[in-house]
Amino acid sequence: MSKIGVFICHCGENISATVDCERVAAEAGKMDGVEFATDYKYMCSDPGQTLIKNAIKEKGLTGVVVGACSPRMHEPTFRKACAEAGLNPYLCEMSNLREHCSWVHEKNEQTTEKAIDLVKMLVEKVKKNKPLNAIKVPITKKALVIGGGIAGIQAALDIANAGQQVIMVEKEPSIGGHMSQLSETFPTLDCSQCILTPRMVEVAQHPNITLYTYAELEHLDGFIGNFKATIRLKAKSVDYKLCTGCGACTTKCPNKKIPSEFNEGLGMRTAIYTPFPQAVPNKPVIDRANCTYYQKGKCKVCEKVCPTGAIQYDLPDQFITEDIGAVVIATGFNVLKTDFFPEYGYGKYADVLTGLQFERLASASGPTLGEIRRPSDGKVPKKIVFIACSGSRDPAKGIPYCSKICCMYTAKHAMLYQHKVHDGESYVFYMDIRAGGKNYEEFVRRAIEDDGVNYIRGRVARIYEKDGKYIVKGADTLLGSKPVEIEADMVVLATAGVSNPGAEELAQKMHVSYDAYKFFAEAHPKLKPVETNTAGIFLCGACQAPKDIPETVGMASGAAAKVIGLFSNNELTREPLIAVVNRSAPPVFSTCVGCFMCQTACPYNAIEREEIKGRDGSVIKTVAKVNPGLCQGCGTCVAFCRSKAIDIQGFSNEQMFAEVMALMNE
Amino acid sequence: MEDVLIEKKPAIAGNSFSGELQKTANELLQSGEVELFIGYEEGTRFPRPCFIASTDEVGKLIFDDRCTGNLAVYLTRKDLIGDKKVGITASYFALRSILRLLTEHQIQLDKLVVLTVSAEKEVIRFATTDDITAYLQTAPIPVREDDKALIEKLNAMSREERWEFWSAELSKCFKCYACRAACPMCYCTKCIVEENRPQWIQPWASTLANIEWHINRAMHMTGRCADCGACGAACPLGLPIHLLSHQIVQEVTDNFALDVNQAVSGDNALSTFKPEDKENFIK
Repeated sequence: MSKIGVFICHCGENISATVDCERVAAEAGKMDGVEFATDYKYMCSDPGQTLIKNAIKEKGLTGVVVGACSPRMHEPTFRKACAEAGLNPYLCEMSNLREHCSWVHEKNEQTTEKAIDLVKMLVEKVKKNKPLNAIKVPITKKALVIGGGIAGIQAALDIANAGQQVIMVEKEPSIGGHMSQLSETFPTLDCSQCILTPRMVEVAQHPNITLYTYAELEHLDGFIGNFKATIRLKAKSVDYKLCTGCGACTTKCPNKKIPSEFNEGLGMRTAIYTPFPQAVPNKPVIDRANCTYYQKGKCKVCEKVCPTGAIQYDLPDQFITEDIGAVVIATGFNVLKTDFFPEYGYGKYADVLTGLQFERLASASGPTLGEIRRPSDGKVPKKIVFIACSGSRDPAKGIPYCSKICCMYTAKHAMLYQHKVHDGESYVFYMDIRAGGKNYEEFVRRAIEDDGVNYIRGRVARIYEKDGKYIVKGADTLLGSKPVEIEADMVVLATAGVSNPGAEELAQKMHVSYDAYKFFAEAHPKLKPVETNTAGIFLCGACQAPKDIPETVGMASGAAAKVIGLFSNNELTREPLIAVVNRSAPPVFSTCVGCFMCQTACPYNAIEREEIKGRDGSVIKTVAKVNPGLCQGCGTCVAFCRSKAIDIQGFSNEQMFAEVMALMNE
Repeated sequence: MEDVLIEKKPAIAGNSFSGELQKTANELLQSGEVELFIGYEEGTRFPRPCFIASTDEVGKLIFDDRCTGNLAVYLTRKDLIGDKKVGITASYFALRSILRLLTEHQIQLDKLVVLTVSAEKEVIRFATTDDITAYLQTAPIPVREDDKALIEKLNAMSREERWEFWSAELSKCFKCYACRAACPMCYCTKCIVEENRPQWIQPWASTLANIEWHINRAMHMTGRCADCGACGAACPLGLPIHLLSHQIVQEVTDNFALDVNQAVSGDNALSTFKPEDKENFIK
């Protein structure tokens, strides 16, 4: 016979303001199997918990129902209290009288009636509860960092410096990401590569970091502490053990007219290439899609000139599988290309550039060695227009968000231009100047006041070419929308920061949620900014939303701290609220018929096959088995199982049925 | 006595190609490749299933257009076939069921010889599931003319009228579970109606309890049903319950990439996402 204790919390006035808590307790006391019922102002407080503990001991309770707030809030509190009083914690359930009742209804009779019903359901459920024990699973102390930009580099170094193993996967032939493409960085104008490349080298040389460049995550299975990652090592066609990075192949490659990704198409590269001189690892790969040998079957110049015989044309893609305990996603972002903008020439004007292209022009390692020259004719532009919010904050273009970094880098671009072209004139069209950040506002003021950049508040309606000039037509909204027309030599669009192509696919591979713009979603916008909804997978940097370098680095260290925190334990305690396949007496053994439809439905790959064997070792039956480490207790398999051979501990069919019937049998 | 009462239908033209089938079955049994052969024999009014374990009996085997019962139902009956190597004459719909049973790991092709007789009266032996799929995609789909009128009538009804129709029909059901016994997909050790902790479906026969059973059955058939109509044919009251699962087949075809009328492959409509899923139901 059940002896259930019911404890109704007033939650200060949160519940008692609309629910008659005393009456709920009194009615609960009359329910079948309820031994003890009471109410208290703050059940979660120390005296409140003591009340529960004492009742368990004195009344010999076999189950506890706490009618209070959401179990998400205080279930662990009350379960712990029960455990301390000697009751299995999973015999304690919470009835949510706050979010499900008092907060959403007016003060009246029905609200109290509903509270009584909610308690009644849980009383019926608790009667069917069984004692459960927490599951312990070991943790693999190795982190996978996806993306080798500044976010990934920072996260990897922090984790590695804490003494944990890191595997870094970068899809390009070199790590460095967008930061390696930048010329100078705001607000200090220090050289981007100068501060980045030492870190890149540190990653490559760190004893705790295994670096896989030209590699992508193929598959991720498992769960927090116990992921299994399959990584595709794309064929580099170069044996890195033999290659010394001498560069003979890249100088001799006859195919020299491939637009360089690193230079944003403003420069050319060869088919066998290292993306940039400071690349890490500084060894080439063959771009098979553009290589004469792969496309036409002959050439092999690189093989002939290679002094160490490192060129290997037949190497296929390789797959490696790694056991991983945590994942940090740091896949970064991209910017819209100029062809996105019909009003700005659909990308057909050679001297209408994106901000990232301008970075390459201004960079000492860029195609013009840092001189600002027009890509079309190599002339130095004397009049330049920068257009902020190109695409961003424009719901009509499908990008209502602010790309955050453009105001600052546009000020930087204009400043760099003025520093390099002393007799040049620069104009910035802007909507607002968003310069929130340490020394940011001062930086923009410096551009306007010291460097004489002309800021015009207004948008540009159209750009067209006329006599070798670009006519920029806009309006100055601070002068009553007075039309402005500038004959520019070059236009730089601060195009919107967007998610990387492939972000959606990656998110689906990892079961991580993402927003409408394919940026990865954090678990909580304020309190869990580096976590994802999938335990053990963290994120940092611009893959979550556009952000600048300081913020990215801060977030990367945050994600690293979460990983290090996770790895500081040897095992993980998990809730035993998982699915189990039933067992019954012979000759049935289990009502599972082994159709394995559950296997196709399980989002966590938690369902395995198990052979039930007789004494002679012969297989009597093959049935499903739930891996307790992988199961997340979602219940999809339970819904799928036709003969109800699978059930969820703590949320069994019987318990759910009892809850429903408590309401039906009035 | 029975022979007098029930008029025997004359063997139709189809019997002329039973000869080749009998020859094949004879070879299979003689060589020991098959220990039990499941086929059709002439019945009192319709052809009925027969189980042939020795070559002496192969003369009984027939196969023609009247052989519509889904023999795949016997492939999961351990009491009938035990661990024996089995041969089967499969009709169009039985082939679909066999594919589905393979998907659901209930039968293995290495212990099964699947035969059919094509429209060209050839005996075809299938070696792989791909062969079966290929055959199903080219063979004409048998049409059940008598259902057509009722389906049209049902489709023309409003939701309320349909509910009235089905409530009236299903209120007659007395839960003999002949539909379940006839269905190749109803192979569970413990059916949901036998589940009593908790008792999801009321065990007695009443309108509500009957509707619960038939809706559950249709739901369990989703993406699995071969649309063979065996359930309806088995119903002693002649309730058109096969149209419930037929409708489910239509829904699955309309809303998911799974095309039941082509071939039932290794996909599960409700648990597998494919980019080609039509998702018409998302408004």
